[in-house]
Amino acid sequence: MRWRLALLAAAALAAPLLVQGSFYHRVLALILLVAISASAWNILGGYAGQVSFGHAMFFGAGAYMPALVYSQWHAAPALGVPLGVAVSLGIAAVLGVPTFRLQGHYFSMATIAVAELIRILVGNWRLLGAAVGLQGPATGRTLWDLTFRGSVSYYYIFLGVLAALLGITAAMERSRMGYYLRAIRSGERAARSLGVPARRYKLYALFLSAAFTALAGSLYLVMIGFVDPDSGLGILVSVQMVIVAALGGAGTLFGPLLGAAILIPLQQTGNVLFGGGGTGATYIFYGGIIIVLSLFEPGGLLAIWRERLAPLGGRWAGRPKGLRRAA
Amino acid sequence: MLLEARAVSKAFDGFLAVRGVDLEVAPGEIVGIIGPNGAGKSTFFNCLAGEDRPTAGVVRFDGADVTAAPPEAHARLGIARTFQIPATFTDLTILDNVMVGAFVRHPGAAAAREAAMRVLEFAGLAGMAHLRAAALGTPGRKRLEIARALATEPRLLLLDEALAGLTPAEIQRAIALVREIHGRGVTLVIVEHVMEVILALAQRIIVLNHGEVIAAGAPDDVVDLPEVVEAYLGRRLARRHGDGP
Amino acid sequence: MIVALQVVVGGLLLGAVYALFSSGLTLIWGMMNVVNFAHGDFVMAGMYLAFLAVVWLRAGPAVFTGVAAALLFLFGTAVYYGLVRRVMRGPVLSQILSTFGLALLLRYSAFWIFSANFVTLPTVALSGTVHLGPVVVGTAQLVAGGAALLLTAGMHRLLTATALGSQILAVAEDRQAAMLMGIRPDRMQALAWGLAAAAAGIAGALIATFYYISPTVGESLAIIAFVVVAFGGFGSVPGAMVAGLLIGLIEATSAFYIGPVYKDVVVYALFVAILWVRPQGLMGARL
Repeated sequence: MRWRLALLAAAALAAPLLVQGSFYHRVLALILLVAISASAWNILGGYAGQVSFGHAMFFGAGAYMPALVYSQWHAAPALGVPLGVAVSLGIAAVLGVPTFRLQGHYFSMATIAVAELIRILVGNWRLLGAAVGLQGPATGRTLWDLTFRGSVSYYYIFLGVLAALLGITAAMERSRMGYYLRAIRSGERAARSLGVPARRYKLYALFLSAAFTALAGSLYLVMIGFVDPDSGLGILVSVQMVIVAALGGAGTLFGPLLGAAILIPLQQTGNVLFGGGGTGATYIFYGGIIIVLSLFEPGGLLAIWRERLAPLGGRWAGRPKGLRRAA
Repeated sequence: MLLEARAVSKAFDGFLAVRGVDLEVAPGEIVGIIGPNGAGKSTFFNCLAGEDRPTAGVVRFDGADVTAAPPEAHARLGIARTFQIPATFTDLTILDNVMVGAFVRHPGAAAAREAAMRVLEFAGLAGMAHLRAAALGTPGRKRLEIARALATEPRLLLLDEALAGLTPAEIQRAIALVREIHGRGVTLVIVEHVMEVILALAQRIIVLNHGEVIAAGAPDDVVDLPEVVEAYLGRRLARRHGDGP
Repeated sequence: MIVALQVVVGGLLLGAVYALFSSGLTLIWGMMNVVNFAHGDFVMAGMYLAFLAVVWLRAGPAVFTGVAAALLFLFGTAVYYGLVRRVMRGPVLSQILSTFGLALLLRYSAFWIFSANFVTLPTVALSGTVHLGPVVVGTAQLVAGGAALLLTAGMHRLLTATALGSQILAVAEDRQAAMLMGIRPDRMQALAWGLAAAAAGIAGALIATFYYISPTVGESLAIIAFVVVAFGGFGSVPGAMVAGLLIGLIEATSAFYIGPVYKDVVVYALFVAILWVRPQGLMGARL
């Protein structure tokens, strides 16, 4: 297992050097950016089983605050990052505290409502650019503005953040929190009877998820240089996180990265070939994938690999999970 | 007194499922709760376990008032329960299932794993530790259910029809397991339908019907009481059985 | 004063339509513990079906409403048999994802077929206004509100006073017991989905007579349904009726006194407030 991880890390480090051209570099950077936000979503939706369809609100908080800090005080956007995380956590508290004591549906419904509420408010708030949005610095004044030509520098920054996020997730997976979250997902009633403080742990997962999603939003602002209510807070931003995590494998460590690596290149190529009008078809496709996943394999591609294909491959695919020795 | 339930009542939208039930359980006892379907056994059981909050009455565990305490608090205090239909965590392995229980006493993963393995060995499931729990059939799941509850190191274990639907051979094995658990100092309250189990295990039983206690005492004495037979068979059949008026 | 009355009447009429489609959502939720995240898009589908009926069949209001109702009834039962029944056996995560996926599918199919442009229902039958004393109301809104009120009340009666309705409620209350009584839970659940979808379709057809039709209209209608159901109490059709009227009223009042942009904000914020303060709603049972 360790050698596969090393191989992955090596491939990730070398990727921008192996492909040429700014278009491809940009796609690689976007894959990582989406992987970060989907991995953040995954902590709550995949591991804890609490499905959010409104994670754009956290992403948007993370994108808008740095932009605000720049547009209001001409400070480096990076200074707005903690503010974005703080706002994100505030929203999370308002959302999670009442709904986590109710059945899961309430939380999911509330995420849709609150995200929309925020999008409408921001879209009408002059301080935040209203419908036009906010811009980050066009050219860098100092290194801290993080404006780079080309996408390669962003790629490596994103890679660092993703590695940190996945590292934290892996540590969480192996700890009591990981077991508790999966128990909650698997059967909250039984989990509680075994002493799991379900509401508290769902909140922990929500806060962790919201904070990293905000960070992803900040990274987005830094690379793209611009945010508006649709690109920062629209439902399609939320949908993308869900589909990317679910396709690759919700509840697995590398599922979201796999999902991003498959869907983002497809999406980018689709945009180039069909122009903006392709958007309709993309989401029909996404809707179809989600339905198929929910009917046949909610664990996504990694689950299909693990359950059905890997056991056939024998030695080369690694031993099936059921027979792995206890660590 | 380890567990005390006084005048516990539970109403659902006006329907009184449990009416003023009293129960006292001393440390080390095995107490049985029996009664026909719809007698309120499950509801009363849920009140003891913290899953349903009684609309009246008090539940005390080792002196502490747990009437309004949530299930997780019950587990921390030392009350564990199983579910009638095993609520196995099917996407987790058997070991992971038990670890979830062990974590309440062992916050660190390594210690929890060790404790869980010990419980699995005790329950005879150690060989399957790394299989997905979904692979187990009903008897295996019921056994896992008990093992998982044991991992919380309870002083009081509430078993909800844990032996229903098992073959005679499996029932014997399960009875042996329960006896071993009792032997380790765990107090037990058992809701059961299978008479053989109650007669084999319970030192004392209470009989519920229509939410009330209609009889209590040693199993052999209670099962032949006319009101108990009538509760199960109905008055006409009870009369034919030779005990009715 | 008259202006206030105007706002109130308009709000109540629209609220009646909200009540109509929300009652379907609450029925399904109460019965099967499934939240239909595509419910808003069912209403949208009703709108477009009505539009097509007018454009292709030159249908009048009764016919296009009937078309929307019938087709959505069939669609609802198909969704039950094809999707919901299967995912109900699995984890809640899959259930939630499945209807959301359906929502995306419906919404973006409409987007693809009809494009993002708004259309309006080309009908003259319900144009014009009606004077109810000092208040002036669009004919379409009045008919829509009145029809919705009758239909919601009708649904409630169907559930509580007919044999079929009591079978549906029996399954909602206790599947096992219902089966023992010879009721087929599957059939009843499919029927409930059909009814809920039909109600949504009718609501869509009614709304289409005075509001513009667009593929994304389902997004905000879904949230309104969520608020109405939470406010009315999950599983309660009478609750949905009262809550629907109230939400319509609150929305209209906010739009008038605060500003049309903020009417949604008020309603959505109300949702959060309900979750904090009284999640069981007005008439809901224990959660």
